[in-house]
Amino acid sequence: MDPIREAELMMTRRQLFGKATLGIGSAALNRLLTLGGLGSVASLASAFGDQANHGLPGIPNFAPKAKRVIYLFMSGGPSQLDLWDYKPKLNDLFNTDLPDQIRRGQRITTMTSGQTRFPIAPSRYRFQKADNGGDGVWVSELLPHTSQVVSELCIVKSMWTEAINHDPATTFIQTGSQLPGRPSMGSWLSYGLGSMNENLPTYVVLHSKVSSNKPNQAVYPRLWGSGFLPSEYQGVALRSQGDPVLYLNDPSGMDRSIRRTMLDSVDALNNQQLSSFGDPEIAARIKQYELAYRLQASVPDLMDLSKESPETLELYGKDAHEPGTFAANCLLARRMVQRGVRFIQIFHRGWDLHSNLTGDLPSQTKDVDQGCAALIKDLKRTGLLEDTLVVWAGEFGRTVYCQGPLSKENYGRDHHPRAFTIWMAGGGVKPGIVYGNTDDFGYNIVDKDGIAIDPSVENFTPGAVHVHDLQATILNQLGIDHTKLTYHYQGRDFRLTDVHGHVVKDLIT
Amino acid sequence: MKPSLPIFVASFAGLGYAVLGVPPTPTAKAQVSFDRDIMPILGQKCFKCHGPDVAKAAAGLRLDSFTGATTKLYDGKAIVPGDVEKSLMLKRVNAPNLGMRMPPPDSGVKPLSPDQIQTLTTWIKQGAKYEKHWSYVPPSLPPMPKVRNAAWCKNPIDRLVLAKLESEGFQPEVEADRDTLAMRASETLTGLPPRKDILDSYRKDTKPGAYERYVDRLMDQPTYGEHQARYWLDAVRYADTHGLQLDNERGIYPYRDWVVRAYNMDLPFDKFVVDQLAGDLLPNPTTEDRIATGYVRANLTSNEGGAIEEEFLARNTFDRVDTTSTIFLGLTVQCAKCHDHKFDPIKQKDYYGLYAFFNSTKDNPLDGNVLLPPPVVRAETDEEAKEIALIQEKMNRARSTVAIKQATDALTKNQSHPPETSHWQISQVSSAANFDEAFEKPFPGEPGYKVPGAWKAFTFQPDKNYAGVIGKDNSAVYVSGILTFSTATTYSFGVSSDDAVKVWLNGKLIHSNKTSRGVDQAIDKVQGDFRAGNNELVVKIINGSGPDGLNIHLVGDLQARIAQAISDLAKAPLSIRLQNVVKDLYFSTHSGSDPAKAFLSLEKQKKAIEDSIPMSLVAEEMPKPRPTFILKRGLYDQKGDSVERHIPPAIGSLPSGVKADRLSFAKWLISPQNPLVARVYVNRMWQQNFGCGIVKTSEDFGSQGEWPINQPLLDYLAVSFREGGWSTKKLNRMIVTSATFRQSSRVSAVKLTKDPENRLLSRGPRYRLDAEVIRDKALMAGGLLLEKLGGRGFKPYQPDGLWEGASDPASETHFYVKDKDQSIYRRSMYLFWKRTSPPPVMLTFDAPLRDTCTVRRSTTNTPLQALATMNEPAFLEASRTMASRLLQSKDDDNSKIRRAFEIALGRIPRPGEISVLQKALVHFRQKYSKDVKSARALVSVGDSPQPKSMNTSEQACWMLVCSTLMNTDEFLTLH
Repeated sequence: MDPIREAELMMTRRQLFGKATLGIGSAALNRLLTLGGLGSVASLASAFGDQANHGLPGIPNFAPKAKRVIYLFMSGGPSQLDLWDYKPKLNDLFNTDLPDQIRRGQRITTMTSGQTRFPIAPSRYRFQKADNGGDGVWVSELLPHTSQVVSELCIVKSMWTEAINHDPATTFIQTGSQLPGRPSMGSWLSYGLGSMNENLPTYVVLHSKVSSNKPNQAVYPRLWGSGFLPSEYQGVALRSQGDPVLYLNDPSGMDRSIRRTMLDSVDALNNQQLSSFGDPEIAARIKQYELAYRLQASVPDLMDLSKESPETLELYGKDAHEPGTFAANCLLARRMVQRGVRFIQIFHRGWDLHSNLTGDLPSQTKDVDQGCAALIKDLKRTGLLEDTLVVWAGEFGRTVYCQGPLSKENYGRDHHPRAFTIWMAGGGVKPGIVYGNTDDFGYNIVDKDGIAIDPSVENFTPGAVHVHDLQATILNQLGIDHTKLTYHYQGRDFRLTDVHGHVVKDLIT
Repeated sequence: MKPSLPIFVASFAGLGYAVLGVPPTPTAKAQVSFDRDIMPILGQKCFKCHGPDVAKAAAGLRLDSFTGATTKLYDGKAIVPGDVEKSLMLKRVNAPNLGMRMPPPDSGVKPLSPDQIQTLTTWIKQGAKYEKHWSYVPPSLPPMPKVRNAAWCKNPIDRLVLAKLESEGFQPEVEADRDTLAMRASETLTGLPPRKDILDSYRKDTKPGAYERYVDRLMDQPTYGEHQARYWLDAVRYADTHGLQLDNERGIYPYRDWVVRAYNMDLPFDKFVVDQLAGDLLPNPTTEDRIATGYVRANLTSNEGGAIEEEFLARNTFDRVDTTSTIFLGLTVQCAKCHDHKFDPIKQKDYYGLYAFFNSTKDNPLDGNVLLPPPVVRAETDEEAKEIALIQEKMNRARSTVAIKQATDALTKNQSHPPETSHWQISQVSSAANFDEAFEKPFPGEPGYKVPGAWKAFTFQPDKNYAGVIGKDNSAVYVSGILTFSTATTYSFGVSSDDAVKVWLNGKLIHSNKTSRGVDQAIDKVQGDFRAGNNELVVKIINGSGPDGLNIHLVGDLQARIAQAISDLAKAPLSIRLQNVVKDLYFSTHSGSDPAKAFLSLEKQKKAIEDSIPMSLVAEEMPKPRPTFILKRGLYDQKGDSVERHIPPAIGSLPSGVKADRLSFAKWLISPQNPLVARVYVNRMWQQNFGCGIVKTSEDFGSQGEWPINQPLLDYLAVSFREGGWSTKKLNRMIVTSATFRQSSRVSAVKLTKDPENRLLSRGPRYRLDAEVIRDKALMAGGLLLEKLGGRGFKPYQPDGLWEGASDPASETHFYVKDKDQSIYRRSMYLFWKRTSPPPVMLTFDAPLRDTCTVRRSTTNTPLQALATMNEPAFLEASRTMASRLLQSKDDDNSKIRRAFEIALGRIPRPGEISVLQKALVHFRQKYSKDVKSARALVSVGDSPQPKSMNTSEQACWMLVCSTLMNTDEFLTLH
């Protein structure tokens, strides 16, 4: 082969920006091209409102219904059978065996695969029909507040996933892949859509306190990480303990005027360096230090709830006064939405109820119920619900059969990926609907005739919503064709929905 | 002054160059290259339907080979070489009728641009030649091009770089000044500024070759190996925890230290590769060889409740294959997990051919949440090995005092057999308010409890796991059974429980362990005095939360060993090994005699030494490989055809007759026939030094990766690296001493426009330093850095709540406990790396999570980084102690500022810079001379003690000056 080949090909703009623009050099180039008036090119976005961060050219692909997302993640797998998926016929089947024609040989975890029986555990909770502006929807007594807002909710009872253990399932719903290494949904959106504000991160993560003190599933940076995208797109965790953003606060003994002087000196030294070296990266660094200074004011302002009206605080309940609770986080999410944060994810843990379900589930729902409802109401009355998509979901559901000892009063449920319930609200999803059905055992997704269906990943199965379908639909609401938000890495155009995913048209207006 | 470079010239001559300056091969610019020009078009536009992915080739047409493209289909041939008119492909991409147009409008692929159509047309006109992708052809030495400015060149790198520069109309930059070069070389080689004595001797050295001598000295520092190893550790995703679910600690740091040693001793790269991939399969592997196989074990593992072993076997193996192919081959093979690769010639079958090399190690796919999931090796040093050998010799002497017959007879006579068991029963489950109560409180079933237990018969066998005997949180259950002995015996046995356990023998409590664990995690040793006849055993299991379980291991460890020895004695002639076993057992059971006492004390000594030596996870091959099948869609339970171990034919094959195992695979990797490994590695070494590889996509050398910007340079480096004995030090030296590396990194407006990313190397390297280097530099400036090689990861300052927030309370790494000693000042590469919550400052500065293979970090620039270097306690402490250093002298402010520049930036300040800091000092003094309380608060950061009689106000002011310098772009940047 020809050993000395010219490389002029590499410098065409199309190829340059078609490839991963990692590294300092490309960042410099982007700025240079932007400054030099060489036309509109993809500029290097920043997790913070760098003015250069307008997202990717051509994205959104079409007019968005939603500008931002609040994603309420219930880690551990909430029991759909005790909250949303009402199965009154099960009451007569207490402690009878799950029929083989229902289980259909599907795999189960090794926590229960050794059980000699799979006895039915009917929910011990009462369900009531709540008004959703249509036929009404059955809601568990554990969700008294959420049941007041079901007319705003788009409830999906036929979610399904491929993973059966927490780590793979959570990684899957967050990043579209069961194996680590892919960007999370919020990172994809920061990368594609860019920032809407100058003073706060584009993608914020909030962790909520859990009242129950039982062990619960871990959540960790991979779940809001940027994978192979540049790390500036990763979620920024706001903390309720210590500095709200890591190292935000100046050390004790330093006041703002001292910090200002120190920063002015850094800037002056950097400017001298810039004029002697000419590297645009130095100019970028100067700007980041200014952003840091502004962040030191804008974050405390965000966290300060003292200007919220008594009615608002009342709406979220007394938990809202305690930083780090789910309710307080919901209120913060609304404040962030007002300040132009693109993607807010609130984690709440402890839903993995293998045993003592009725002992623990009420405390879980009490943690989140009022916050969820308050958030919907608050967004609605401020007019923000229209273009804010709210999502409530876990990584999978729970089995109808009991794990461990069974009584009418108490039982445990194992992981169930074949059918579970999530809901969405606002942002152009249909309010007051229920989508999808499960059989009388809540075990399989069924079609409108009640026949069990085996949904496939490859082809969209009407009535069933795969994790990739949910992701495609969320992206769609933000004006993004999920097949077009891609990143070229290791020889392949990666996307959130891998090679699957379909927009579920029935869920959206 | 161009000092000659002996090593270089030697290796150069050895490669068979007779004359420098062979004229360059003439390049016909109009000649279209398949690989460079056509392949990207076909890959992007056509392969979706007409690619190597056979199953999907639409209309039977495949465009990935000459044969495929020129096959006659029903309406003609897609390509007729040389005939533009007859080539249907050109008609179809040009078709005005959308129904005929390729790619079809509904395919989601955009139409070809006029340029692309023109390129295709030219290519077909020129004969439509197909050729192999450049990186699949083994590299050969390029001819040395002629250059105009030959005097600039110090070694062949420069000639190859300069040829490129001149062809683009550029001249290189002048050499950077000495101080800049000193800092640059030291940072790139050791990840630290130069130590003062090394810098001083370089500054004093005015003879030719001073810089080369300086570079050699840097490479002799142990810090060199640490820094070089760090890049490798990113690639192999080294970490100190398992990574999934509980994310408990795992013992593998001896492997990390092995990598450091390997770089420091300049272990040839071929050996480096073979040891890591297959050290266990070498003939008579040394401890070091075995430690190296930690590479194979470095993948993430899990022990999540309910996990299916076979599923995790597949996951773990995927991870190993993907990592290995990225690190060594620069190929992304994971697409072929589900289907034949769409762009590169890797079939699904080939993927599983590679998979088969890695799916037959002995480690259990689930890690058991334990520190040392087997197999493991004791990572002893030579001295430790000698010490142990010495003790062993003494133990042998003690053994020689006992006749084998005496030992055998005694053991046979006293052999105790496991008892018969019967009448197993289980009580009702009793619940309590919490775990404490469930553990303490007696319930029905407990010996002596006021209410008799409501027992049910229980089908129970000893030595078997029983899960779900309780099924509730904060609850307890009792299991009882009858154990029958023929004679009264002191007998020991084991109990595993999930979670806590109590044991009664004949109504007497003999064991109690309040713990939270899984049933597979530990075996408690229990010893009881059993009477002849029936004995009643009662075991209480207390579950805190989640799963529960029980196992009573009746065949105790010692009994099992005695029984084994006696059975061996019956079978085999008395080997030395068996004699030792018998005698050791004899000593253990007859500990009264002097030789026994001496022996047992030596044994204890030996154990103490062994216990002090860390263990490390290693790879071991199963005696018989697992059968391998294609996994459809990559799903572990969707098995397809069976597959043998093999290398993808497109890139090579194992020599005939060799055993297909990891060792042969490793040897193939470093064989001259392998087109990729040397290129991939030298490219990363280049990237380390220049901030960007010759192939920018250092993780992808496949057809979709970037073309090398300068292939002759890449091939030259690859071949000379391999032929020159695979020396990484030589390679580094060649790069760092080149005129190319030594250029000033100042950039003119013209170069910034025409070579914005410095891909042509029209100037010296300039890039933001990695997280680790930035922290280490700060510690060094503060005089805090503790240089100590190896050992367990350390835990420095960290904001409260990070680990707790990211982990299950049951995790052993749930609570972060900062180290209390000097180790918090160690180099960042030794940070304890918890995968689900890595050190926060490292992440802020783009360190990867270490849960996937990373060969190229991103380099971002964010305000969070500014906050970290301004406010993180280690940085503040370093500026405080640096201020103390400055205040030790009585110099004036000017001199102190000079000294501060020297310490932090390794150079003398310009007058404009001095005045910036003088001005700041005025403001700082206004504040802190009056407000001593604030000054005291400011300087209170960090563990290191305050020097006596320090003027607190002055220290606070100078601390801010130091912090200012540590926040400059220059401090954070290699330049």
